[in-house]
Amino acid sequence: MLYTVLYGFTIGAILYFISIGLSLTFGTIRVINFAHTLTYTIAVYILITLMAYFHGFFPVAGALAVLVVIPISYVIERFIIRRLYGESLDYTFIATFAVSLIGVDTIKWIWGVNPYPLSDPVGIYLAVWGLTFPLYRLLIVLIAIILFFALELFFKKTIVGKIVVAALEDKDGLRCLGINVDKYFSIVFILGSALAGLGGVLYAPISSIHPYMGLSILLLSFAVVIVGGMGNLKGTFISAFALGMVMAITARYWSQGAETMVFIVMAIVLIFRPIDI
Amino acid sequence: MDKEKVYKFNSDKGNELSVPLKNAPMKEHGVIDFLVIAAGFLLITPILSAHRVTDFMIFCIFVMSFDLMYGYMGRLSFGHMLFLGTGAYCSGLFIRYISGNPLLAILVGIFMAGLLAMLIGLVIVRTTGACFSLINLAFNQIGFFLVLSPLRGITRGEDGFGVRVSSFGFFNFANTTFKFCFVLLCLLLIFYFLKRLTTSPYGILIRSIKEDETRVKFLGYNTFFYKWLTFVLAGGVGGLVGTLSALNYNFVNPNMMDVHSNVGVVFASLIGGAGNLYGALVGGVVYMLISNFLPIYIHRWEMFLGFSLLIIVFKFRKGVWGNIQDIWEYIQKRKGAPRLAA
Repeated sequence: MLYTVLYGFTIGAILYFISIGLSLTFGTIRVINFAHTLTYTIAVYILITLMAYFHGFFPVAGALAVLVVIPISYVIERFIIRRLYGESLDYTFIATFAVSLIGVDTIKWIWGVNPYPLSDPVGIYLAVWGLTFPLYRLLIVLIAIILFFALELFFKKTIVGKIVVAALEDKDGLRCLGINVDKYFSIVFILGSALAGLGGVLYAPISSIHPYMGLSILLLSFAVVIVGGMGNLKGTFISAFALGMVMAITARYWSQGAETMVFIVMAIVLIFRPIDI
Repeated sequence: MDKEKVYKFNSDKGNELSVPLKNAPMKEHGVIDFLVIAAGFLLITPILSAHRVTDFMIFCIFVMSFDLMYGYMGRLSFGHMLFLGTGAYCSGLFIRYISGNPLLAILVGIFMAGLLAMLIGLVIVRTTGACFSLINLAFNQIGFFLVLSPLRGITRGEDGFGVRVSSFGFFNFANTTFKFCFVLLCLLLIFYFLKRLTTSPYGILIRSIKEDETRVKFLGYNTFFYKWLTFVLAGGVGGLVGTLSALNYNFVNPNMMDVHSNVGVVFASLIGGAGNLYGALVGGVVYMLISNFLPIYIHRWEMFLGFSLLIIVFKFRKGVWGNIQDIWEYIQKRKGAPRLAA
């Protein structure tokens, strides 16, 4: 059972990394970003390439992979997302989906369709009460919790964070104060994409790597964002871990049903608390 | 007279998304439409082979059913494959276990998909926008999973199962020509049905729901019921499409319910021009041509699909049919101008 809990926390942490960007993007620019996990996938593939150069030294390769994602996400923001401000939701949906199609095909072009293996970079197991835990999973959960508090600090203490929080509340009011809101939106977008990249880098060693890996996790993180409330940062944190736990517990008893259970939870939440967009 | 007033009242809203309500009266075209559509499909048959065109027509019906929900009612669904899959599986299982009669199977397919739409529609149509798309997607995923895993015993999971229809009289689905004619007949019937539906007051009502639901509610209409009805109708037609494709391919497999295949129908609807049945037909054919022939010549056809979707969204919103209409109107104006001067 403890394994299940740990597994749930790990999945929850990864879901948190990915859905925070999705939630922020939706809360501020009202764009449902289908291309969000594209950066996640790209980061993983760059990580694989860099691992060869750094002789398998994970932290440096991972950090560089996250950094490489930043310019890519800037390009997406500048040329696609920025044109979609204030558009009808259907078109933003379709345009970002098109971006993800292009991205996935590019990945297939460069790296091929075959899955890559990547082993646990830490490889240390902790023995507690006669049970062995992989240290790597604990580290992921730890990073997620640190990140949560870091983001809390960022949004409460820094001026950029404060502006973003204000934009979640009232965009037009902020514009009236003479603040160039669009600039902050692109910062938010890049931040979200980089975090998704971080999630990808951390999750890659314990999952399978293939060009379509982003799509399945994207659906899960949509569920997280809907359950937690769009643009609600604390809600996202809680719902990510809750849904991660739902997945882990379902997987323990009925392994194929894990992902579907998340959607059932999402459907139930939507029935009782529909979101008007 | 009365109707025209309604159209004029609505059509001066300068929304880029809005579907013009002008070409509403049915009598303008009449029978010629059906002849043109039938002739069009018959004309491409010698070039592409009957089997392929049957495929195209089935997909066109699917695009029309999707368009009823997206183009006319303004609700983008990312899970319309659910109804196709439900129709295919229900009719396939019916043929396999109960009776080989294809007509009964079609009725079962439509009925079961409609029933499913009735049930989940009660929940789904309460939502709008992104929520609608995502909850559809969620239900589609659940359906896909149900077929793949818990119902493996009867659906045979990933392998799918073969469908063998018994033939009686001239109803012989093994015959390509009969299949072609039957699907064409279905297409024309559905086209007629949807045409009547969308030009009726009901059709105007659902377009008005797309424009502004609050106002329609304010006028005293029960919008929930109309949205639900549209959802059920679209689902039922989706079920028909599923049954037809099961009969066409002679097998059913989970690909028919695959969540990722939804892109195809969205793309087809957009490229043809959403909110127009002719647009749906054109879009269906164009999409099928692209997906059938482009992979032969261009290896990276998904990338091409992505770029063309971007172009459609940013520059080409009216789709092929919308642009044809614009050109047609322009020609009409040019023709009309000298006459007025004289």
